[in-house]
Amino acid sequence: MMLKIKDGGNPRPKKINWNLLFFLAPAIILIIIFFFVPVFLTFLMSFTNMSTATGLTGFKIIGFKNYLQILKSQWTLKILKNTLFYVFTTLSLFNVGTALFLAIFSTHISENAGKFVRTLWLLPRITPSVVYATLWTWFTAEAPYGVLNQFLSPLGISSRNWLMSTPWVFIILINGFVGASFGMLIFTSAIKNIPPDYIMAAQVDGASTFQTIRKVILPMIRWPILFVTTYQTLSLLTSFEYILLTTDGGPGFYTTEVWALYAYHNALSNYYGNTLFGFGAALSVFLVILGIIFSIIYLRVFNFRALISEPKIEV
Amino acid sequence: MKKNLVLLIISLILFLSLSLSIAKDNIQTITITAWTIGPDRPSFYRRDNLVDAGRKLNSLLEKEGSNIRVKVEATFDTGTWADYKQKFILSASAGKAPDIILSGHEDVAPWGEAGYIIPLDDLIKKYKDTTDLKDIIPTLWKSVQYKEKTWAIPQDSEARPLYYRKDLLKKLGWTERQINDLPKKIQKGEFTIYDMLELAKTAQDKGIIAKGYGFWPRPRKGNDFYIYYYNFGGEMQDPKTGKLILVKDALRRYYQLFADTIFKYKTTPEKYIGMEWRIWHESVVAGKVLFWQGGTWHWAEWPQVYKADPDDMEKNVGYALVPPAENGKPGVTLTHPLAYMVTKNSKYPELAFRVIALAINPVFDARHAVTSAHLPVLTSTWKQSTYYKNKFLREVEYMLKFTTFIPNSPDFGTYDEIVFKGVSAVANGDVTPESAVDIVVRDLENALGDRVIIK
Repeated sequence: MMLKIKDGGNPRPKKINWNLLFFLAPAIILIIIFFFVPVFLTFLMSFTNMSTATGLTGFKIIGFKNYLQILKSQWTLKILKNTLFYVFTTLSLFNVGTALFLAIFSTHISENAGKFVRTLWLLPRITPSVVYATLWTWFTAEAPYGVLNQFLSPLGISSRNWLMSTPWVFIILINGFVGASFGMLIFTSAIKNIPPDYIMAAQVDGASTFQTIRKVILPMIRWPILFVTTYQTLSLLTSFEYILLTTDGGPGFYTTEVWALYAYHNALSNYYGNTLFGFGAALSVFLVILGIIFSIIYLRVFNFRALISEPKIEV
Repeated sequence: MKKNLVLLIISLILFLSLSLSIAKDNIQTITITAWTIGPDRPSFYRRDNLVDAGRKLNSLLEKEGSNIRVKVEATFDTGTWADYKQKFILSASAGKAPDIILSGHEDVAPWGEAGYIIPLDDLIKKYKDTTDLKDIIPTLWKSVQYKEKTWAIPQDSEARPLYYRKDLLKKLGWTERQINDLPKKIQKGEFTIYDMLELAKTAQDKGIIAKGYGFWPRPRKGNDFYIYYYNFGGEMQDPKTGKLILVKDALRRYYQLFADTIFKYKTTPEKYIGMEWRIWHESVVAGKVLFWQGGTWHWAEWPQVYKADPDDMEKNVGYALVPPAENGKPGVTLTHPLAYMVTKNSKYPELAFRVIALAINPVFDARHAVTSAHLPVLTSTWKQSTYYKNKFLREVEYMLKFTTFIPNSPDFGTYDEIVFKGVSAVANGDVTPESAVDIVVRDLENALGDRVIIK
């Protein structure tokens, strides 16, 4: 088998680089086993009525029935909207927005103060998920138990379960406080890697701090911004643990249910013991498609090809 | 001669000890694994009864001359039901389930269909007469039957009463006699659920209790919500076809009750559903709530886990059936029997079954009932002194005559997800009861098609 590779407009035949294939093989095999095979199996499973009751052997092939059920459901659009709202609000306000602010802020103050700020923001990340979520549920609980209500009652604000009253606010905050630290670390290291000559040159030219950030720092960390945005979008699309541990998708009709949680609820968790693997698989297929669409959009918006072909700085 | 005698004795001792050690070596110890759950902590005898039954079985096996002995390795979970069942489903799918699983009776339908658990009819027939299984309350057997087979052995039952503070009723001007007669009035249908809400509102208006502390039903997902559905004439399952049923009018009235208590009478706090259990328990234990609906097992949990004063409970907390929807009808409760099941992964299903059968005896049944405030499964337990000396259990036992069950159907999980979201949405103020019913009906039809009958 021969590959043709364009080189300066002159195609020339080239032999397969067996060494290259040999070294890539472990990664390729892992990707096939842990990504392509599960996706393929999930895809197959989505055409069955497999559930706890049918077991892994007694199921039937039901064609597109699961997909039709999703399309006919009165909640599909709401859950999709919830998912997009959750992903983009958390992403823009915290995972990229706050992360960028913290990285710039902590690199523009003294080294020790910067370290302190970054360590503080890492605390939610290193706290176990269940403990972290439980702390929030206690923080927002009814008086006299909830700390928040104790602060608000002197201001004349009546006591309530804040998590259930304004669920989205707290879901974004809970996820955002954890999510911001990842971007903060990446952006900080990227900013610190910008050669000081550029910053100094800008300052000599009379640029203000804001102008330096806007005209020098931000363009130079485009690649880490793309990486954090893409990575965190895909992470948020599939993350649901803090929603599960706090509102569990409620209150009411799917108020805070996101697509990944919807798939989890159907495929793996049921109060009365019958989980719907087939229907859950169909929901997961939708999620995979959504992830691929986002990846393609990001690659185009950030001009990924140009970014990897012309590295300006090392991160 | 003497030397020979000594030699003979030594040889005999050696021979005997050798024979004994060979016999000992022939004994085969089989490990029987079991998973049990509270989640209420006082229900630990669900595990310990199995472990002790293992010892009983070993004595029996020895008498039978068998060289087999069992070692029961059982766990007791205090996490959530959903996590516990998920863990079992995943392990059963992977062929790594324990020999015995304790779960709700309704699980016999999906798990029996899936082949995760085995039917026990033949083993019951074989051992019923020689064990206490013959004394199991007949209605409890029905709860573990599905498609004309028996899939589990009932482990305990309970009732879900309405609790009330007698001291707060006294402050409202009720006499001792009136307070003590309340359970009977509810049983006879002379005090309805709306009478209860009116009374709770009066107590709030008079400042005896704070606003929103008049009536606290269960705050999180669970079986108790179906008490209100049944109360308003709900039906759950068609006995002939096994299909699930939804009675629209009963559902609307059940949702309306939640809307009324939260928004009209303001006897339940807004944003109530989703409240942490810890807060719920601590509030009722502190005597802040006038009426609340819980389980009999809470009676054991309050002093053991939430530091309630047993004397205060004895003196100031009353219990009755959940008041009926209409005058003249008796009050209602719901029972959710738990049961031991033998899994398909068990290599020794008969031994696993015998462990279960021996765990169900009057002494063990009584100690579990008394420690955890559950109701027994054996009629013979009623004669146990530890049981009949327990005033609370004696006084709630009559509730079983007025009880209801959730159905055994593999579709019930899907049904419940949808119906519970309805009450949660109404209680949250998102939709009216009428709209919630319409939404629920559309969802049920989409998810279950003709497997649900809408009336």
